[in-house]
Amino acid sequence: MSWAFASIVDAGLVLGVATMVCGLAGIGDDNADAVTFACVGAVCAVLAAVARRRVAPPDRPGTGRVFAGIGLLWTVLVLFGTVLYAATGGLARLDDALVESAAGFTTTSLTLLDAAEASRSVLLFRAATSWVGGLVAVWIGVVTLPAVLRSTALIGYTTGRRGLDLVPSAGTGRRRVLILYSGFTAACVVAYLLTGLGVTEALVVGMGTASTGGFTGRADSLAGYGGATQAVAGAGMFLAGAGIFVIWWIARGRLRPLWRSQELRAFVVLLAVATAAMALHRGVGWGEAGFMAVSAMSTTGFAVVDWTGWGTATTVIMLVAVGIGSMMGSAGGGMRVMRVQLLMGSAGGELRRQIDPYAVVLVRRDQETLSQRTLDRLGGHQVAYVVLVGLGAMLLGVSGVSLLGSVWGSVSAVTTFGPAVGEIGAFGLLEGVDRAERLALVPLMLGGRMSVPPVLAGVGLVLNTYRTLQRRVRFSVRLASRRRETPGESTRDDD
Amino acid sequence: MTSDLPLGAAPVGPNPLKDRFASTTSHILGIALAAVSLGMLGCTLLEAVTSRRDTMALGVSALLAGTAGGLLWYATVPGSIRMRQVFATVSWTWILTTVVGALPFVLAGTFAVPGVGFVEQVVNSVFESASGFSASGSTVLSDFESPGRGLMMYRQLTHWYGGMGVVVLAVAVLPFLGVGGLELITAELPGTSSDRLAPRVSETARRLWMVYIGFTACAAMAFYAADGFSSLYDAVAHAFTVAATGGFSVHADSIGHYDSVAVETVAIVFMILGGTSFSLHWRLVAARTLPYHRNSEFRTYLTLLGTASAVIVIIIWLENGLPLGSSIRAAVFTVVSLGTSTGLSNATGPGSPADYVAWVAGAQLVLLFLMVVGGCTGSTSGGIKVMRMRVLGLMMLRSIQHTQTPRAIIPIRLGTDSVRETVVSRAAGFFLLHFLLMMAGLLALTSLGGELETSLGAVVSTLGNMGPALGEAGPTSNYAVAFTQPARLVLALLMVIGRLEIFPILLTGVGLVAGAYRGSVRQGRHSVRWAAHRLEAIAESRSDDESDDVDV
Repeated sequence: MSWAFASIVDAGLVLGVATMVCGLAGIGDDNADAVTFACVGAVCAVLAAVARRRVAPPDRPGTGRVFAGIGLLWTVLVLFGTVLYAATGGLARLDDALVESAAGFTTTSLTLLDAAEASRSVLLFRAATSWVGGLVAVWIGVVTLPAVLRSTALIGYTTGRRGLDLVPSAGTGRRRVLILYSGFTAACVVAYLLTGLGVTEALVVGMGTASTGGFTGRADSLAGYGGATQAVAGAGMFLAGAGIFVIWWIARGRLRPLWRSQELRAFVVLLAVATAAMALHRGVGWGEAGFMAVSAMSTTGFAVVDWTGWGTATTVIMLVAVGIGSMMGSAGGGMRVMRVQLLMGSAGGELRRQIDPYAVVLVRRDQETLSQRTLDRLGGHQVAYVVLVGLGAMLLGVSGVSLLGSVWGSVSAVTTFGPAVGEIGAFGLLEGVDRAERLALVPLMLGGRMSVPPVLAGVGLVLNTYRTLQRRVRFSVRLASRRRETPGESTRDDD
Repeated sequence: MTSDLPLGAAPVGPNPLKDRFASTTSHILGIALAAVSLGMLGCTLLEAVTSRRDTMALGVSALLAGTAGGLLWYATVPGSIRMRQVFATVSWTWILTTVVGALPFVLAGTFAVPGVGFVEQVVNSVFESASGFSASGSTVLSDFESPGRGLMMYRQLTHWYGGMGVVVLAVAVLPFLGVGGLELITAELPGTSSDRLAPRVSETARRLWMVYIGFTACAAMAFYAADGFSSLYDAVAHAFTVAATGGFSVHADSIGHYDSVAVETVAIVFMILGGTSFSLHWRLVAARTLPYHRNSEFRTYLTLLGTASAVIVIIIWLENGLPLGSSIRAAVFTVVSLGTSTGLSNATGPGSPADYVAWVAGAQLVLLFLMVVGGCTGSTSGGIKVMRMRVLGLMMLRSIQHTQTPRAIIPIRLGTDSVRETVVSRAAGFFLLHFLLMMAGLLALTSLGGELETSLGAVVSTLGNMGPALGEAGPTSNYAVAFTQPARLVLALLMVIGRLEIFPILLTGVGLVAGAYRGSVRQGRHSVRWAAHRLEAIAESRSDDESDDVDV
């Protein structure tokens, strides 16, 4: 059985159940939508459950197949969401439905839905798409890729004690991640309920927090909510951005690994620096600055204020924070704190080698020395990331977005943050953005969500196919020319 | 580790100057200042026979620079040098040459306009000097009519000195440099490594300068002919610019002043050649055969310029609604100008077809990309360089292959040669540092009140030694309009950092900070030890007193 099919079945089961629950919760508000969601969800869940009993994922899937599977998985999820949005009338046009679905599953806080007009089922389904997207992202980053790529810096750090603890085997790892992720979401929802939010709102914001999706039930994100709700959101975003390993350690009551984690320390320091830098800017309060810093670094996209009007220096700090992104093993996006740390170490080593060309410079993470090959791959990943952002900006620029809007929009979409300076704005509303520009965001969100390696593998596949074709064409041409040169021989052979 | 080992042969056997102070940094700085003062002297003569407005300023500057340079040169001898000192030598030479090079502008009051104080005049002069020597072409000059011809020619000459580099010049004129001369050249010349054109380093430097002089002469003649033999002054001034891929012009509207296809064509050809490795030009002269088509970097460079031109022509033709002919003319000139890091403009005014600030964002992003890439290694252009971008691209492709075959050993090849892994990791490190500096510069400029789009363009432009930027600092405007005084100083520093390709200035800065830190730690330890001694002494004296009391 192919790995792609097995993972689609797994994701389909969770998505089906979630969709069914959204439908059932919507009964009494807009019954037509609710029934559609409940029925489609139930059918999807049953089909996935049946398929799951009959199929088993391969023990050792090939790297190429896994990457192809990841691409296929995200495509299927996005198409499922698109069809449902279009079928329920949540979004009448198919391209709008595609953008909304892609934003949801990639946990990017961009929306076309008018929250005030949308039915309860649609709102819950939108939150569910980001929740399922976050879960699939963590599954892939923590369980699948480490097994396939075998401890490279491109993926979540899961070798050694830290990884084996949570993911001793693929099946157990998936189950534990599901339990932790659901538990964390439930804790968020309960905390929101305690701050006085209604059940639907608590569910929507809770799922948006845990998945770093950033959807809320209002057009102005969390700006209209009380201080307690915003505080809960801040704490939730911090944990969501810190990743599943940190949640695992907290759940197990183990404080030592928390303290010893180089990445967590860097994450906290970066958050503090970003907060202080923004708060020192005139007119920005410490609370608002801290909230926006954690929102940016966890790439959630919640906003309590229109931060795009804070001034140019503050928006640059936000851009840097969004670019760095969250920790490894989280549902957030961005370059990731660990990778940035390693790249800095690598650049420092290069400076040292300028003075002393024969110096042996070691780059370490959590007491492990990384090989030069790993650092090279990391460099390649960094270049690919910049290329993706650059191409995205160009795509947006050509489709009519302003220069700043293009650069910010591309960074924001690739890092799965959402809001951006320019046409998109601080609350991630796509109403004022043209259709072509919205569609240009879809490949960027998907590329960023796949965390670049599968995109790289896709490019590699295309290149390999091109080379094979080129070789075959050359061979055919050579064969044909040889036949033309020696017609006598062929005649003799025929004789 | 091995950093304490000297690179070259240390001093020189029997030396008649052996009683003099041995300092390679001071010696090279002296030569650089002397060379700049010679240029100033030439421009003083030009000023004296033409406008006579700034003769005194240029003359005094030449005298001061010449005296300082001569003293430094005469009073010192080059000694042995370590790798750390190579970077410090290059950095300090550039910083001090830039500061001294600002003298004529300060003394002539070039920026003395109503409302501008003396400090701002000095800042503007340093900015202009840094822009000139780093061959950037960013300017804060708004009045192109007031300065005399000599001063304007001096402004062009700063480009010419900076293009090939004052340190290379110093190495060329030193008959025997008992130091790692090749390392000095490598630290100053743009690129991943410097080609040896001759067995001796000084001969290599001399040949590079010979090619450079010849190239400039050819460009001057071509400009003179293209302009209908109307102004030799203009031709020489623009030849200095294109040879150094600088960007300064003697006219406020740059090449747009002529509104001539012939002049623009000459500029395009020489800008492309200026962005090409000078080793290739030397091979053309020495071997009398065309070496360009065999060089894979040059082919990529041309492909890049061609593709970018085509893309921009299509974008501005369709999106900006410009006529096809104007689109082609504006796009090709702008792409070549920014792609070679020259920064000349053929815009005839704000809103004209070649004023790329008015183009749609997609076209501007292509230009930003070209500004980051720059020209070929071993040329006078700025940016990351085509060679490094190719290495980085291949590194990315290797990452792709490694995802499918994790254990494969895949070398990176450029043409038929395999690239050493040290070069690959150096390119990756350079790219990262370039990126980090861009972000740091952007933060600094926006904190100092710069508008975001303008700041982004200015950081990319100054770090890549382009010249004009985006927004308010576009081709028809200047940096004085867009940035505050402190921001201009930051930009001047970025220009010098970009010209020296980051490492020398960064390492010198790190060395200074580390030295200050070590010094303060040493001072702290000394103070603690001193305090401990004092306490011990007090304690001893007290115990002595007590014992005396007991005795009593």
